Amino acid sequence: MLVATDLVKRYGTVQALDGFTLSVAPGEIVGLLGHNGAGKTTFVEIVSNLVRPDGGRVSIDGKPPSAARGEVGVAPQHIALYPSATVREHLELYGRLAGLRRAALRAAMEELSVVLRLTELLDRRAGKLSGGQQRRTQAASALVHRPALLLLDEPTAGADLETRQAMLDVVKQRAGEGAAVVYTTHYLPELTELQATIAVARDGRIIARGACDDLLQGLPGEVRVTLDDQEEIALSTSDPATTLIDLLRRVDRPVTAVDVRNPSLDDLYRSLAVHDAS
Amino acid sequence: MLLDPAPRGLGVLDAVYRISALARHNLIIRLRDPGQIISYVVMPMVLMLVLKPLYVRAMDGGATQIATGLMVMFSVFAISMAGNSILSERTWRTWDRLRTSRAPAPELLIGKTLPLFVVMVAQQSILLVYGCLAIGLPVPPSPLLVLAAIVIWAFALLSIGAALATLVRSHGELSVISDVGALTLSSLGGALVPLSIMPDWAQAAAHISPGYYALEMMQAAVRADVAGVVPPAAVLLALGLLAGVFAARRLARGWGRGGLL
Repeated sequence: MLVATDLVKRYGTVQALDGFTLSVAPGEIVGLLGHNGAGKTTFVEIVSNLVRPDGGRVSIDGKPPSAARGEVGVAPQHIALYPSATVREHLELYGRLAGLRRAALRAAMEELSVVLRLTELLDRRAGKLSGGQQRRTQAASALVHRPALLLLDEPTAGADLETRQAMLDVVKQRAGEGAAVVYTTHYLPELTELQATIAVARDGRIIARGACDDLLQGLPGEVRVTLDDQEEIALSTSDPATTLIDLLRRVDRPVTAVDVRNPSLDDLYRSLAVHDAS
Repeated sequence: MLLDPAPRGLGVLDAVYRISALARHNLIIRLRDPGQIISYVVMPMVLMLVLKPLYVRAMDGGATQIATGLMVMFSVFAISMAGNSILSERTWRTWDRLRTSRAPAPELLIGKTLPLFVVMVAQQSILLVYGCLAIGLPVPPSPLLVLAAIVIWAFALLSIGAALATLVRSHGELSVISDVGALTLSSLGGALVPLSIMPDWAQAAAHISPGYYALEMMQAAVRADVAGVVPPAAVLLALGLLAGVFAARRLARGWGRGGLL
């Protein structure tokens, strides 16, 4: 669905993208990770046809971004709503711009209102909504035309639990229907829940890409043992089970608690950060 | 893929549908904040009434001068309405969202300015009718010619407003340029004081003011003087087209996406 190859973009002296390459298949959710300034938002803007790359190529279902307008649903990082327009008016605008006519538009609005918990808010003006409600409205207007490619740039930033769960539900649903999804976030557990494949961006390029389990392989987990006097022994290990058995054999005092933690996306992120710093 | 994509919008009908969606949306937003529109209709009405005795006593055709002059002057203020409505899209960050839709920049621009166009045509029509009823402006023998003149002037103003909105960096900058520009250009164009009694340098400089051509066109249209309407109408149409194309090109590129907003 989405193939981006060797994208290059420079803003003055800042090299925003430097050979950024990423592919997303239909039905796949790609969790795009990276520090601020890693190039995630620039990538989203290029695929959305908002910014032209200085080099490289983007293809959406075989077409350049300029020819694929309307097949892409974009929820930007910042809130972009009309303060005096209602939630319903937002959905109607973006639905109609995508070519949805009466019955189809009504059906799409009704479905999204339920999934994103907006039914009670449809006639409320965007300027009067809470931050989480605005996030949901923004996502709904990006999804109303059932785009084949979804670009969600930190859609849950600053959102409450209800918004976060609604957002994850709708993303899973759309991916299940065949949409390709690029999901940038700093909340790594969301990607585990979405069963996303992972792409890690740094300095304007993708430095790690693959299934979550593959990327975590070889990363250390942690074994933590608490003794009767509250003393804690914590060991970083790539084989938590063996390490725990070994540790229990060697400890000659009563153990009150044991915690075994497998490597997580946080560890992956941290290891890449350490690598970056070094 | 289980997706049910919306039909592709390539035809003229699809473009009209998208423009009407945008126009409807912008009309709703405009009507929720009607203060500016009301003031640009009421203020010239009051001024016409107050200044009428002065103009009627001072010159032949004083009623025509004050009615058409103030109509032109207060319609020029509409540049700031057009500019602000486009600039607000930048403040709200909604323009980029619109740019990711199927509607290309010219459609976005038309959909954005169409409600304002209707408002401006209505404003000028109301002021002319008011001029006939309350100020003593002669009833135009050719209402269609007057309407054509109003439409051309509204088009030129909206295009200039849109172009300005793509150049300025803030609402404050737009306000300074449009308000000072509106007063200067419409005064220089003879909207307040007839050109014939202005100094030579001002009469020469008037030709760079769109207000001059608007006043010439409007007064010729009120007289049903087709030959007098055509030259200034051509100038204003050309100006409107140039400004419109410039604005569409700037808007298509996101007009810098930086600045103060």
